[in-house]
Amino acid sequence: MTIQTKTTQAPLLEVRNIKKHFQAKGISGETQTVYALNGISFTLREGETLGLVGESGCGKSTAARTVLRLIEPTAGEILYRNQDLLALRPDKMRSLRKEMQIIFQDPFASLNPRKRIDKILEEPFDIHGFTNPSKIKERVVGLLDKVGLSSDQADKYPHEFSGGQLQRIGIARAIALNPSLIVADEPVSALDVSIRAQVINLLLDLKESMQISYLFISHDMAIVRHFCDRVAVMYLGKIVELADSEPLYNKPQHPYTEALLAAIPSIDPETKKERMKIKGDLPNAMDMPRGCAFHTRCPIREKQCEESIPQLKEARPGHHVACFLRE
Amino acid sequence: MPTPELRVKNLKVAFTTGDEELIAVHGISYQLNRGETLALVGESGSGKTVSALSVLRLIPEPPGKILSGEILFDDKDLLKLQAKELRERRGRDIAMIFQDPMTSMNPVLTIGEQIIETLLRHTPLSRSEARVKTIDLLNQVDIPFPEQKLDQYPHQFSGGMRQRVMIAMALSCSPRVLIADEPTTALDVLIQAQIIELLKQIKKESQMSILLITHDLGVVAEIAQRVMVMYAGDIVETGPVSKLFRASLHPYTSGLINSVPALKATPQKNFRLSEISGTVPSLSQIPSGCPFHPRCPSAETRCRTDKPRLKEIAPDHAVSCWLHP
Repeated sequence: MTIQTKTTQAPLLEVRNIKKHFQAKGISGETQTVYALNGISFTLREGETLGLVGESGCGKSTAARTVLRLIEPTAGEILYRNQDLLALRPDKMRSLRKEMQIIFQDPFASLNPRKRIDKILEEPFDIHGFTNPSKIKERVVGLLDKVGLSSDQADKYPHEFSGGQLQRIGIARAIALNPSLIVADEPVSALDVSIRAQVINLLLDLKESMQISYLFISHDMAIVRHFCDRVAVMYLGKIVELADSEPLYNKPQHPYTEALLAAIPSIDPETKKERMKIKGDLPNAMDMPRGCAFHTRCPIREKQCEESIPQLKEARPGHHVACFLRE
Repeated sequence: MPTPELRVKNLKVAFTTGDEELIAVHGISYQLNRGETLALVGESGSGKTVSALSVLRLIPEPPGKILSGEILFDDKDLLKLQAKELRERRGRDIAMIFQDPMTSMNPVLTIGEQIIETLLRHTPLSRSEARVKTIDLLNQVDIPFPEQKLDQYPHQFSGGMRQRVMIAMALSCSPRVLIADEPTTALDVLIQAQIIELLKQIKKESQMSILLITHDLGVVAEIAQRVMVMYAGDIVETGPVSKLFRASLHPYTSGLINSVPALKATPQKNFRLSEISGTVPSLSQIPSGCPFHPRCPSAETRCRTDKPRLKEIAPDHAVSCWLHP
């Protein structure tokens, strides 16, 4: 490791034991608690890309939004450059939002259909008090160029674009104010296969040219491996494994990670593998299993897994796992 | 020699919007052989779903319209059948499963009632026999406690369980052909793996033919024997899965395969995925000549003006590209 990379690895974001419990109304009117996040902690270093993966309902999107305080957590701490976001005054928080942006999954739903593209892209500047109109116009042209669109498309409306182009516009909006952190919530899941690679490559280009750190939420294990430096695997509101991409994919420790990797259909028909059989469905987050949340589906569970909850522990340097049998 | 179960000849389908008639499927031909799984692959707007729905005349008319073609099953053209005769075939000989099981089941009927209804319509079974058969079917698709689940409503099932119920419903009359439209797209990867295993197991136990519509090349490699790649309403390449994934000939097929990151290989730091430039054309703006030419890295002058035809260049392997005339 060179000295240069060492200095760039100060934590940009530190999330400590955040929890989010939603109150939901049941069918017969009674209040139930949805345990969406049950205490997750991670750090995102400067210039790093951290992937949050898991099935739908595992809490990865809630985690992403909580980090930006788009959802207020029930408990926990979020430190951005050593400032506790949850303790910040609203005006301070608002000005910090310049530095932390989000890209959403559905580009059709995340852009105002009644606004022209140039207006959509001018909005971040207006909100954050940039007042020189000709400068702003210049910046918008520059943004379109950066995401691979031409400036003569600036006066069109969202419906005139394809999904991939709209996602580029969503990205342009996110990078408008030179953020340090971008939360990308399934940014390519809604796109056609042939368009996904374009958007992933664009995100990589921006990471290099603008030194952006990404928190990358996805259920696509192959794309996460390609894109992320480190990966956190989530299950029912908890991180069950956290490691650098390579060891996580080559030597997964948690049986859930193993099962996820084995379940991915490979496009090489010659490499048919023996699949780890996982029976059953994701348990309901309103009715959490006792003990290890994965024990109901785990092929290697033992008695203790049904009784106590395993903590995320460092099994080997940099490789964390929450499993009694693999720690 | 494979026996053809279903033959589609020169199928052409259009949709009318306003005064415009947009061609969604440009006269495609293929056959589905007995006992095989044939995958129909393409991106949104490629015409894959429209061409599959047309087999059972399930596209809404209007705005849709089957302009020409023949769909031969038992030497009868399904497109010429009377509505009543067609209803007899649907569900009994040719069944379908859809992407979203929630919207394709009736939310106010128990799943038992929905399966029993199919059985009563197409088989001579009595109601009580149909109930026993339904329990049997739910067992077959690994639904736990089928006797109780039978009397539950679709919303009481998880996504994966609903898809199993759909499959049970489709299999109820032992159809000879199953059309599966993105059967695992709405599911999480662990549940997807379970459904793939289930479909494979069903295939092993019967001589059913499956027409599988998907955009996921991984799913294709897992269960299909042959594959057809569609682009802008045309089949651009077709062949055995093993061949197509190793030695595809159409630049679009190769582009699709190469743009999927490999799960096995260690990616190099900051390595860029190979991309297909441009966007999928909309039906109202299909490019001239070969519809793929604006995005094609090897396009020549001829590709801009003349449309290539699907040509067999090896047994069972056909491609429509001027690079392989």
